[in-house]
Amino acid sequence: MTTTRFQELIARNEVAHSQRRRITNAVMLTLTGLLTLLALIPLFWIVGYVIYRGGSTINLAFFTQLSRPLGMAGGGVLFSIEGTAVITILACLFAIPPGVLAAFYVARNPNTPLGVALRFGTDVLAGVPSIVMGLFIYVILVVPTKHYSAWAGGLALAILMLPTIIRTTEEMLKLVPHTLREGSLGLGAPEWKTSLSVMFPAALNGIITGFLLAIARSVGETAPLLFTALGNEQYDVGKIVQGGIQTHQSLFMIIGRIVNQPVDSLPLTLWKYAQQPYPERIDQSWGVALVLMIFVLLIEIAARLWVESRKRALQG
Amino acid sequence: MKKISVPRENHWLARFQRSTHHGDVLWSGLIILASLLVLALVIAIGWMLWQQSADARVKLGWGFILPTSNATWDPLSGVFQSWAFIYSTLMTSLLAILLAVPISVGIAIFLAELCPPSLRLPLNWMIELLAAIPSVVYGLWGIFVFLPKVVVPIGEGLAILGQVPVLNSFFTGPIPLSGSSRLAAAMILTIMIIPTIAAITRDVLLAIPNSQREAAMGLGSTRWEMIWQVLLPYGLSGMLGAIILGLGRALGETMAVTMVIGNSLEATNSLLKPGSTMASLLANQFKEAVSQLHTDAMIEIGLTLFVITLILNLIARFLVWQVARRTPQEARA
Amino acid sequence: MSKFLRSFVFVTIAFSFLLAACGTVATPAATTAPAMTQASGATAIPASTATPTPLAPGSVTLNGSGSTFQAPAESEYAFAFPLVDPAVAINYQGTGSGAGKKAIIDGTVDFAGTDAILTADETTSGKDLQMYPFLAGATVMTYNIPELDPKGPALILDGNTLVGIYNATITKWNDPAIAALNPQIASKLPAKPITVAHRSDGSGTTAIFTAALTSFSTAWTAGSGTTINWPADKAGNGVGGNGNQGVTVAVQNTPESIGYVEYAYAVSNKLPFAQMVNKAGQTVSASPDSTKAAMADFANAFTPQLTATIVNGSGAGSWPIAGYTYIIIHQTSMTDCVKASKLVEYINWILTSPVATNRAQALGYVPMPSAVQQLALAKLAQVTCNSQPVMTH
Repeated sequence: MTTTRFQELIARNEVAHSQRRRITNAVMLTLTGLLTLLALIPLFWIVGYVIYRGGSTINLAFFTQLSRPLGMAGGGVLFSIEGTAVITILACLFAIPPGVLAAFYVARNPNTPLGVALRFGTDVLAGVPSIVMGLFIYVILVVPTKHYSAWAGGLALAILMLPTIIRTTEEMLKLVPHTLREGSLGLGAPEWKTSLSVMFPAALNGIITGFLLAIARSVGETAPLLFTALGNEQYDVGKIVQGGIQTHQSLFMIIGRIVNQPVDSLPLTLWKYAQQPYPERIDQSWGVALVLMIFVLLIEIAARLWVESRKRALQG
Repeated sequence: MKKISVPRENHWLARFQRSTHHGDVLWSGLIILASLLVLALVIAIGWMLWQQSADARVKLGWGFILPTSNATWDPLSGVFQSWAFIYSTLMTSLLAILLAVPISVGIAIFLAELCPPSLRLPLNWMIELLAAIPSVVYGLWGIFVFLPKVVVPIGEGLAILGQVPVLNSFFTGPIPLSGSSRLAAAMILTIMIIPTIAAITRDVLLAIPNSQREAAMGLGSTRWEMIWQVLLPYGLSGMLGAIILGLGRALGETMAVTMVIGNSLEATNSLLKPGSTMASLLANQFKEAVSQLHTDAMIEIGLTLFVITLILNLIARFLVWQVARRTPQEARA
Repeated sequence: MSKFLRSFVFVTIAFSFLLAACGTVATPAATTAPAMTQASGATAIPASTATPTPLAPGSVTLNGSGSTFQAPAESEYAFAFPLVDPAVAINYQGTGSGAGKKAIIDGTVDFAGTDAILTADETTSGKDLQMYPFLAGATVMTYNIPELDPKGPALILDGNTLVGIYNATITKWNDPAIAALNPQIASKLPAKPITVAHRSDGSGTTAIFTAALTSFSTAWTAGSGTTINWPADKAGNGVGGNGNQGVTVAVQNTPESIGYVEYAYAVSNKLPFAQMVNKAGQTVSASPDSTKAAMADFANAFTPQLTATIVNGSGAGSWPIAGYTYIIIHQTSMTDCVKASKLVEYINWILTSPVATNRAQALGYVPMPSAVQQLALAKLAQVTCNSQPVMTH
């Protein structure tokens, strides 16, 4: 095989600069790898340490009991787990319907004034510090209604979830092939039927992933709850339901009692416990951190696995 | 066989269906309503902050947010100047960006360009999981592990810079032995925003057409030259967007910062001293404002944060537009 | 077709749930108390007799927030009181006295805990607030000086050195003023800068502490109240902690630091705390006895609002930084009479039950002398709900 004149020139040029350039190349490329490793150190450090400290405090009582008085060992964080569940469910109920509907609008009309405004508004909302949501709900709800409550906390988290829900839903709706929509409309189905029965199911997988990611983010949030949910170490859904049944209250009233009082959530409990000087509380805060982390990471991983499997299914 | 029942012409249901275009009027009304609701929410947040801080804005004037050499925050005598908190917020966030950007870009390059395919998925996941860890967990780990083990030694080393003429006011030591300081907040923020910036930058790099890479390699550049001279300039607009997103996250982060910054109301410049950011001050003092003016001043801090995010969003949009407009010309030149 | 309907119905249900949730908000009283509330107002039956059926366990939650000074006691009560009255759950959040006062003025809680006395403005804007002193406690100076032997003699301070430390005019542990007070350990005091820990939230402990500083020396010019503009912060050696617990943690984690915390926190966490030279020139240690001595110095100092300041007492055995901790409730404007009667029952139990006082004493608090107890009970008897007296026996 003969080398061409051109190749020779390139080779010579390469030789002239090669030493410095090759070294730069090697050094910088290695550096990027090292930086990646550097960034992973905190991940393993945090996860490892939380498992190490939290693992030793977790037992059955941790999940099934309310808190004990300060300075007394034992007890659990059932109140906090229940509170998290109640707040999260409320946040989903408040955020998902308007979020999905708004996404339908913006996916269909991205360039109308309202569409442009909505996208900008969503961006702003995504950037607003979460503690400001807490301020907002405190001023417009907690003060006028004169009490802290689970649903005020849920509403604050719902505002936090809205941008994620709108954006992912919009993206997913846009990915649905035009032909599907046009086919449905061509067959005489009205727009709403097309949206709900053709577009929505087709985009459902992606949308649910978006929901999951939004939930994972909101479950770990503390700041908006400081001024809205307050905290409640005596929160016991089981007792409320049982008491409600005993005194023949309506379902509506029992639900009202569940959502209409202050509650704790896992990150809020963690924050309060971590600031206690009592060693039992600090230990428990590591336990709470472990539960919270497992919960969030599981949702996150589930969402990603779902996406991956869908991708594979679509490609294969 | 099932009969399809068609309502008669003037049956109420038929009239209703016709008048609403078979429900479409209702549907579009519903989605417009939802959109307006979301939009109204954003406006309501801004409006509430503006309205509720009206008294504070009138009484405290611009001195509330303008830089002063000796900012005072004294709820007892009703003197409120928030410069110390604005300074801490900007200082910690900018330092975090400064530290996070090179690391994140390095990670993004590694993930997008160099990583062996078998490692790519797990590494991507791990970087993104870093973003999913709740901020209180960062705070907890910060107090008990990161501050004493990492921040304190670094802070003690940096205190030497306190002797250097120009830098001395930024590095006046010693760092508290617990590590609670602006430096600690900045370092925790760095860890927290790396995944955000890295993930977006990676996506930006992956979106660059292969023709760019082939052209650069074809002209004889090394891999690094291809990345440094072609890919990074090409993806600049997206990366700026990523940085601004990271900055936004750093500015508004509350819990992790509150747990490590030391919550002091002091007004020194030093990185090695405790301070309060705007968000951490809100977390600490909002619920217990001692006077109406104190509450209003707090809400004005919230307003300041809100306005900063608004401006950042506008800048991000402008930059994206500007860079997108300029890049092709430069590439041609 | 049915599928579309189902999804539509789903959305509708979700929306109606949203509305339903909002609906419960409009009538908060209705959800927390059975329909009795209205009836008791209309038919003029005293509230506590207007509840013919026993309430379900945990059906009344009394929400309180405020002072972290009393939080350990409240957390004991929250555990013990439901054993007395199973219908009641006590939810007390230690958010700081400042937050507690603001919450009861805004009406966002049923009762507030505070160690700071309501200011004139707060009394005006709160309208019918009444303070009930129920425990007293000492505020102690806890310190973290690794050079000192934890089993050796404790650090001794006096009013002036304390003011100096918090004014940042005394900045090193081996300052002559401190060394002169501590001849036994003077050689061990390190030449290291003092980190001064204080509360970052609005705090009644801060109010008690700064009232004492003001009383110790005219050099203290930062005033007294729940939130202070700390001179030590200006000097760059202050660090804030959230709550009594936050200060405790700050001191534990910061070598060469000093901070003020409530006695119960110091005892239950086995923190070292300084002895003080009091007004009579005696070196005293914080304890329930020295707190009682301080209370005795000011036995007749109670205002009609049932408040008293007990810092820097003149008795030989008086601890100079002590204070009462209070519960604040609305005296006449409560509208949920079931809640009101339970709240009165709770405060009555705190003041009079041996179970409650024993538990508090075990934590290092001092219960009220019976004279003050009687004053408080008399005020409690005046609580009304919808213009009807709440207490019937």
